[in-house]
Amino acid sequence: MENSKLKIGIYELTGCAGDALLILDCEKELIDIFNAADIQSFVMAKSDNIEGDLDIALVEGSVTTEKEIEELKDIRQRSKIVVAIGLCATVGGIQARFLDPKEWNERFKKVYGNIEMTHTKPVQSKPIDAYIDVDFYLPGCPIGKEQFLIFFTRILKGNPPEKSQNPVCVTCKYNENDCLLKKGILCLGPLTEDGCGAICINHNLPCAGCWGPLKTGNRTSEYYLLKEKGFDVEHIKKKMANYSGTKIASFLKELEKEKK
Amino acid sequence: MKTISVEHLCRVEGNGGISATIDGKKVTEVKFNIYEGPRLIEQLTIGRTPEEDVSLAPRICAICTLSHKNAVLRAIEKALSVKVPKKTILMRELMHMGEIIESHSLHIFLLALPDYLGYPNAIAMAAKYDLEVKIGLEMKNFGNHIMKTISGRYIHGENPVIGGFGKFPDKKDLLWIKSRAQQFMPFVLKTVSLFCELDYPEIPEDETLYACCDPGNGKFGFWGEKILLSNGESIPADDYKKLTNEFVVSHSYAKHSLYKGKPYSVGALARINNLGERLDGEAGRKFKKYFNEHWKKNPLYHNAAQALEILYCFERIPVLVKKILKDENTPKIIPYSVKEGKGTGLVEAPRGLLIHHYEIKNGLVSNVDIITPTAQNAEDIERYCYIATQKLLDEGQEEKIRDRMDLVVRAFDPCISCSAHSAQVRQGKTDEWKSKLETILTHEEPAFLGIGNFRQGDDAVGIFIGKQLRDAGQKNVWLESSTNEMESFWKSNAGKPVIFLDAIDFQEKPGTVTFLPLLYALNNSSLVHKFSPFVTGPLKYNQLKKSYILGIQPASLKRGKTISPCVKKATREVLETLKSRQKKNRHFKDKE
Repeated sequence: MENSKLKIGIYELTGCAGDALLILDCEKELIDIFNAADIQSFVMAKSDNIEGDLDIALVEGSVTTEKEIEELKDIRQRSKIVVAIGLCATVGGIQARFLDPKEWNERFKKVYGNIEMTHTKPVQSKPIDAYIDVDFYLPGCPIGKEQFLIFFTRILKGNPPEKSQNPVCVTCKYNENDCLLKKGILCLGPLTEDGCGAICINHNLPCAGCWGPLKTGNRTSEYYLLKEKGFDVEHIKKKMANYSGTKIASFLKELEKEKK
Repeated sequence: MKTISVEHLCRVEGNGGISATIDGKKVTEVKFNIYEGPRLIEQLTIGRTPEEDVSLAPRICAICTLSHKNAVLRAIEKALSVKVPKKTILMRELMHMGEIIESHSLHIFLLALPDYLGYPNAIAMAAKYDLEVKIGLEMKNFGNHIMKTISGRYIHGENPVIGGFGKFPDKKDLLWIKSRAQQFMPFVLKTVSLFCELDYPEIPEDETLYACCDPGNGKFGFWGEKILLSNGESIPADDYKKLTNEFVVSHSYAKHSLYKGKPYSVGALARINNLGERLDGEAGRKFKKYFNEHWKKNPLYHNAAQALEILYCFERIPVLVKKILKDENTPKIIPYSVKEGKGTGLVEAPRGLLIHHYEIKNGLVSNVDIITPTAQNAEDIERYCYIATQKLLDEGQEEKIRDRMDLVVRAFDPCISCSAHSAQVRQGKTDEWKSKLETILTHEEPAFLGIGNFRQGDDAVGIFIGKQLRDAGQKNVWLESSTNEMESFWKSNAGKPVIFLDAIDFQEKPGTVTFLPLLYALNNSSLVHKFSPFVTGPLKYNQLKKSYILGIQPASLKRGKTISPCVKKATREVLETLKSRQKKNRHFKDKE
């Protein structure tokens, strides 16, 4: 029996460790999770970790040091399937906001001065698919319990996981919430990937966009709609960029060009 | 020379390691490495609206997310002069209790307990210690449930906003929390006796300074307007920089902090040490039963302190719920209109003092400073590992070093994501070294040892000051450049405190003077100057502990150059300070 279990590794690069923590937050299912699969490596939870060949690697966090690039490439090499979990791994996280290398360099110097790091060299924050091929994405800051458990059970059974292609607005409407945009509040629902359950709008608060940008979202038209509604242009751009990492870089560049 | 290291610290939150370098029978260096990369969070929160920052800043860390939320809210509400109603404060306290329970129970049961029972993880432990693992998981689940009910999500909930909450939880959900907390009591008491009666090893024990928030009114609690130190000092929130001199070290993306040149500890153990007397009810009784001398100096008792705090939270929750339900007509969000100001928020995160400071101009955040508990503990983590390693070496138990370091680091419950958030580079007050030096000279009669190389530019500065000092009539000054002197130096100064005079590279403006404990200088690789074993070799641990280094930042260490002008200027300043001190002494003696 032992051999037939899928070998799984859970890895953390740079981020808040929230996605790994969320797996530990499945308290009621935790023992089952550990029994259903052969968890070979999970540094946050155990100390007898084995770094060998894997069936599935779940990777959270963005890549921000040279050591992490090597580590990531090594994980890819020994895993059949690599899954990016959480906002940092899927889009680069909030820390991937400084897209221009020059700006990043300046900011880095402001924080750490001219010190030469002895343990590992820093690089600009990027999502993991900037360096390796990624098979599946689980978005979210952090990922959701239900989302993870559904994904996990499906993948254990060998079913390819489904990917949502809806914006937050779809669930929001199911929940019968009033549209905040209509009330004049800047809500990112239309541009953000669904899956959180529209929690913020359920709490009368606008969507911050923390599940990352929806691939099929129509950013250009949304941008002009918001502009028409009278929102400050800079504010719209910043808000769109907060949780989008490197993924809407070309869109933001277009906007800059237009300004000129 | 060999290095013992724990490359990947397991069962801690985030990505880090610890290593100790051993030369024969002496530990020469201990490094707490943070591999977690730089995120520049403070830089990316600048230029945002205060509302956006309330959402962004807690992303620093998943496990302390609500502590960050409370800290950013306290700071920004102060800056914008928003006065939230009592009910809102009570709700925030309740969600904070959830986080403390969640984080503490995760740490003591699932991360730390396997060490003491001899298992690699909690799941393996479950086969024999079924009940313990189940209590741990259930308790964590309960903490999480409170967080979700009030903040909207398990992690990074967005419900708490400036001025209040987007939505108040239902009455029945709050009542469920209250009754569940009461049901839990027997298991909570079991938890306290389990962790307060664990057999904690005595190595490492050493005194330290404890710092935590002072909740005021003689009460126990998790936030306040002042920082309380175990030596009785009290620091107002806005002066927090007096406590936390953050500086960058080259082996970590987390900054380190020292108070008056010495490491200090924050966290559950600091709170119990400073505020334990204020506990009442069952928690107060358990405090009186278990608290003893070991708690004051052994970091491994962090685990016991966390168990006591869990008890405090479980006793507090029913009281909180009752008070919240009494207040029915409170508005959810208080409107505000102020666009400028600055404010500091102090909160006790599960692992210790957390400080958020914001400055707001024209409706946008213009300056941010965030100081996290693990960044403050980093120095003490290194120091306790140093002590443990050296003692185990002395006792010939080298094989225990690796595991013991692991145990010590984990006891601090480090949150590596938090610590690597990174802060602004800050320069210490330029003449702070004078007062530090003054303090030492008042109490001790140290020997001075000038070290360096005369032919290597500014490296000559140590020898140079030493010579001048001797010419000025200062007693007990020695120079590294003379071999004869070095042989007799250790003989005539065994056990005495030594002040090393030297050029050290601590990444400051050339000519800046610093005064650091020698222990720190040896532990820290960013101080580029390496002491030759000849100099520090005969130093015993006791002597090392009371020795200091008076260093000047060099401009150039190139061969064949002479001392550069800016360093020379600093030299004169050092000499004058020491000479004036000498005069005072003489004056004093004449009177006698």
